[in-house]
Amino acid sequence: MTDHLLFSNIDEPGLRTIDVYERRGGYGSLRKALATPREELIETLKGSGLRGRGGAGFPMGLKASFLPKGDMQKYVVVNADESEPGTFKDRELMQKNPHQLIEGIVIAAYAVDATISFIYIRGEYVHQADVLEAAIAEAYERGYLGENVLGSGFTLSLAVHRGAGAYICGEETGLLDSLEGKRGNPRLKPPFPANQGLFQGPTLINNVETLSTLPHIVELGSERYAEIGVQNSAGTKLISVSGQVRNPGNFEIELGMSSREIIFGLAGGTFEGREIKLWFPGGSSSPVLTKDDLDLPYDFDTMAKAGTMLGSGAIIVVDDSTSVVDVALKVATFYAHESCGKCTPCREGTSWTRKMLTRVKDGSATPMDLDIMASVQERIIGNCLCVLGDAMAMPIGSMIAKFRGEFEDHIERVRAEQERAILAGVSG
Amino acid sequence: MPRPIREMVTFTLDGREVTAPESTMLVDAALEYGDVEIPVFCYEPKIGPPVGACRMCLVEIEGVPKLQAGCSVPVKDGMIVHTNTPRVKEAQEGVVEFLLINHPLDCPVCDKGGECPLQDKSFGWGSGISRTVEPKRHFEKPLALSPLIAIDRERCIMCYRCVRFSQEVSEDHQLVLQERGADTFVTTFDGHPYVAPFSGNIIELCPVGALTSRPYRFRARPWDIEQAGSICMLCPAQCNVSFTVRDERVLRVLQRDHEGVDNGWLCDKGRFAYQAIHVDERVTEPLIRDGGTLRAVPWELALETAAAALRRAGGRVAALAGGETTNEEGFLLQSLVRDALGSPDVDSRRGGTLPLELHRALVAPALQASVPDLQYAHAVLVLDTEPVDDIPILDLRIRRGVRHQGVRLFVATSRPSSLDDRARGIVRYAPGAGEAFLAALDAALTGEGDVDALAGAAGADADAVRRLADGLRDAGEEVVVLWGERLTAGPRGADAARALLNVAARLGLAGRDGAGLLEVPSAANGRGLREVGVLPNAGPGLCEPSAEGRDADGIAAAAAAGEIAALYLLHTDPLLDQPSRRAWGAALEKASTVIAHAAFLTEGIAEHATVVFPAESHAEKEGTVVHPDGRVQRLRRAIGRQGDVRGEWQVLAELAARLGADPRVLTASMVSQRLFDAVPFYAGLTLDEIGGRGVRWPEREQAGALPTAALGPFALEAPPAAATANGRLRLGAFRSIWAAPEVAASPALSFLRPLQRAELSPADAERLGLRHGERVVVASNGHSVSALVHLRQAAPEGSVFLESGIAEHSAANLDGPLVEVRRA
Repeated sequence: MTDHLLFSNIDEPGLRTIDVYERRGGYGSLRKALATPREELIETLKGSGLRGRGGAGFPMGLKASFLPKGDMQKYVVVNADESEPGTFKDRELMQKNPHQLIEGIVIAAYAVDATISFIYIRGEYVHQADVLEAAIAEAYERGYLGENVLGSGFTLSLAVHRGAGAYICGEETGLLDSLEGKRGNPRLKPPFPANQGLFQGPTLINNVETLSTLPHIVELGSERYAEIGVQNSAGTKLISVSGQVRNPGNFEIELGMSSREIIFGLAGGTFEGREIKLWFPGGSSSPVLTKDDLDLPYDFDTMAKAGTMLGSGAIIVVDDSTSVVDVALKVATFYAHESCGKCTPCREGTSWTRKMLTRVKDGSATPMDLDIMASVQERIIGNCLCVLGDAMAMPIGSMIAKFRGEFEDHIERVRAEQERAILAGVSG
Repeated sequence: MPRPIREMVTFTLDGREVTAPESTMLVDAALEYGDVEIPVFCYEPKIGPPVGACRMCLVEIEGVPKLQAGCSVPVKDGMIVHTNTPRVKEAQEGVVEFLLINHPLDCPVCDKGGECPLQDKSFGWGSGISRTVEPKRHFEKPLALSPLIAIDRERCIMCYRCVRFSQEVSEDHQLVLQERGADTFVTTFDGHPYVAPFSGNIIELCPVGALTSRPYRFRARPWDIEQAGSICMLCPAQCNVSFTVRDERVLRVLQRDHEGVDNGWLCDKGRFAYQAIHVDERVTEPLIRDGGTLRAVPWELALETAAAALRRAGGRVAALAGGETTNEEGFLLQSLVRDALGSPDVDSRRGGTLPLELHRALVAPALQASVPDLQYAHAVLVLDTEPVDDIPILDLRIRRGVRHQGVRLFVATSRPSSLDDRARGIVRYAPGAGEAFLAALDAALTGEGDVDALAGAAGADADAVRRLADGLRDAGEEVVVLWGERLTAGPRGADAARALLNVAARLGLAGRDGAGLLEVPSAANGRGLREVGVLPNAGPGLCEPSAEGRDADGIAAAAAAGEIAALYLLHTDPLLDQPSRRAWGAALEKASTVIAHAAFLTEGIAEHATVVFPAESHAEKEGTVVHPDGRVQRLRRAIGRQGDVRGEWQVLAELAARLGADPRVLTASMVSQRLFDAVPFYAGLTLDEIGGRGVRWPEREQAGALPTAALGPFALEAPPAAATANGRLRLGAFRSIWAAPEVAASPALSFLRPLQRAELSPADAERLGLRHGERVVVASNGHSVSALVHLRQAAPEGSVFLESGIAEHSAANLDGPLVEVRRA
């Protein structure tokens, strides 16, 4: 087991208060960062190899370097919408160690010269929002936020904004529209937020975990941080393991660890006598893997090579007691409900898929419907305005491809049962 | 802001090289320069930047892994684009399939059937096979989105053009999307009907039959109708329109996109008031007064009665022309009055004329801004006009400039403007104190003169005037002043005009491209009528007349004094159009003959006219008009004249002939030719050249034929101070977009017919103990009108604003400048 970074001391009582956080060396990285020239700080972030922890895995330092220099209002926005099913790591980070996040925000804002920052937190995280509010108040009081942070001349305001319960507001441009008070719909890109984000100003938008990592990168230096993990997947990663495992929860791992070790070691493996049927390696939007893929190292590139993605690091385990039809219907229902409706393939494709799967489930579909369903997924993937459509089409497509037999058997079985019931009714 | 200059770039489109201006969106470049249609639904550049929502325009661009939405990809040099590869076809078929999943196939009973982009695109890019067996989504339908628009949510394909129009073009912020995903639907924010001056545009924007016109619903199928292009004559905006005609009836009015005029938008008055062409109240045969009532008579009798009366009156004839008069009619009218009858008394303005020098200066080509200049200027000053009422379509143009081109907008008016919230600076001055305000602005721009005293005289805040001066000076070189003609009405009109010219001179607007003055005339063809000589002190081409006559106010006074025997009213009812009802009531009462061309028997006509000739509607007229920016536009007949209506140019020519001055014109185009020959700065114009797009005469070489006039700066007289309220209120009058006989006569629009309301500031209302919606009496000098209190946050304290141009309780009943407001 590697050293814990984000989760070091995570269960220490009172860590959420500024006194304990400071006692553990908190805000030391901020002092160090404020003494570093901005360009150098951005080079450090680039050199660390840190990739965004929200799902897309875009190199964080590179993104920060895209913000234009110069005298204009810039923003840092924290994506704390954590809406991907199976993902609950940011929740624990914010609830137990809010100052780590705040410190990361100030470092990032200083690096890109932003003076206004927001945490956009999902509406359901009521408790976490309260914890953050309290921590922000403490940070203001100690001079880590507000005018002239720690006497450096740098000024930053930070406010928490609660979402109203939409998956799409975890998509960065949808989040920005929502934060501006509009309907949370994704925007056409380009322009990217780095150029025109919040209120048309250059905006750095990052996930909670990504920003919580910054104090550690500053503390360790880019080289030492980059040594953790494997090629193209530097650092540690918080993994949320859920589903049919004995010991679900959040774990901090070094990237590149074997998937089997995560599921069977850290998460305690399946329940007695059951086998893994499929698992989502990166939240419900990642194409599924099967038990044959358990020995793959858990890192960005390996998952991509396996035709799926590491995503937000949310592993959902489904064992052989669960029907793949139920899993697929659950996923499709979720995305059909969450589609914003702006673009055609996602709006219509997700809802059509849900309707087809409902017919599969109740036995009124035919194998031809499976072909249509597979083709519908193909017509969604890559053709939408944002990735929400793909987020349904990729896992559904992978389930149809990998478990087609089970879908067909299910249709056949339900139909046979219905026929028997009808016959029984007739004869009775 | 200078308009972007674009270099040409060459890209490859389906294997062919195509050259198009840089940064043109691919779909436009492909269609206009490569003759390749890439299908779109949500893309509509006149709304604003692309949104990439419908995904219909997906194309393959080499070097880019994913298919790209062609609506939002600007063309670049060397770009290689494929629009018909199997991959593109598969994606486009997919989008059509997705769109049809929930779209009802009720085309046979849908108004859009036959002219429906969804039908066309399904036919062109769909697979022709449906693979879905799922139930479609259902909504209650059709619902009235407003009295004018029906919404069928089942047909909606969620391109949200309508919502974007409401949010980003008209900025009324009423339409929104509710719910999400496949449950999304278009509605108003608060569930109230979508009532807004430009609401009808969403019908044309809708690419399916989800939004349909209630007046047009089920009236015709596309194969029953023809389109006829002309000009809307209901206000000075002169939008280019296309009339939908079936069996010689106008069934619908559509936009005919002209970037230089309307940008493809129409207001609801222009779109729906066509109904007034086909109502029973319309006058469609000649009438003469017989025993106190008007009765229909044959043309011959009407013409002879009119001719005889005019002959009797001789030099004691006066004529007024209203806004719907064409140049040709105005030209014939002034010739009839001047040449056939020998009277100099002819006018087309309200509230007095200006010295001829100033008329010439205000139309000087060097000072004329164009409509597109409003969009691209560095700064726009809206001065003494409310665009949404006076020239509605320019309200949208100004908003577009502010939103997309960063135009700095300033508003200087008495009455609060709907543009206030888009403005960087606002100056409010007392009603009628435009001259004093301009003098103050002039002083602030030069740094000489007492700004405080002048602003005080205008009832304006001196600091606001100074900030405005700074704002205009610092914005950049290109400044456009959009000013209302009412600024130069009244006895001090000439002084106000000089002050306006001074401001233009201080800002250096003369001769500067993209800058200048743009007048909002009080009448639809106000500018044209002046140019063709319907002024007491100017003949055709703003030349010196042989004798100077009386202006409208002078005519009213002379008529009341019995000096004028016959009044000739061409498309005007002075009781509605002129500022003082009482002066005109007396004038009409006293005149022994009142000859009117009218479509409706409004009060003044019904009670006083002795001969009424039926007026053509603008869908029946031929001729030319002049847009406020100098664009000569052509009216073409869309339908046959209704009933017994005759061409009014014919009537005027016939009367002239009977009075011994036959103009010898046999066709409408002969009159146009005669006019072009008579006005030196129109010389050489032809109807063909004007065509469907018009010609801006100030841009032509012949514009130099306009007699030159001094453009200032002038030494200004000290302006009179605005009346002190002393517990009473200053009276300001306005005419809303809906105050028109055509609106009142159109069944679909009659719900918008204005009732008198007294617009007050909350502070005044509190002082007077009045609440919003309460009925009050507004009185001055023993005359009073009844009104409902309408509180406006931005109304200046000490003023009350009342509607004019309405039949009952019009502001024209009151003398001002001060009135008393008390609870009824």
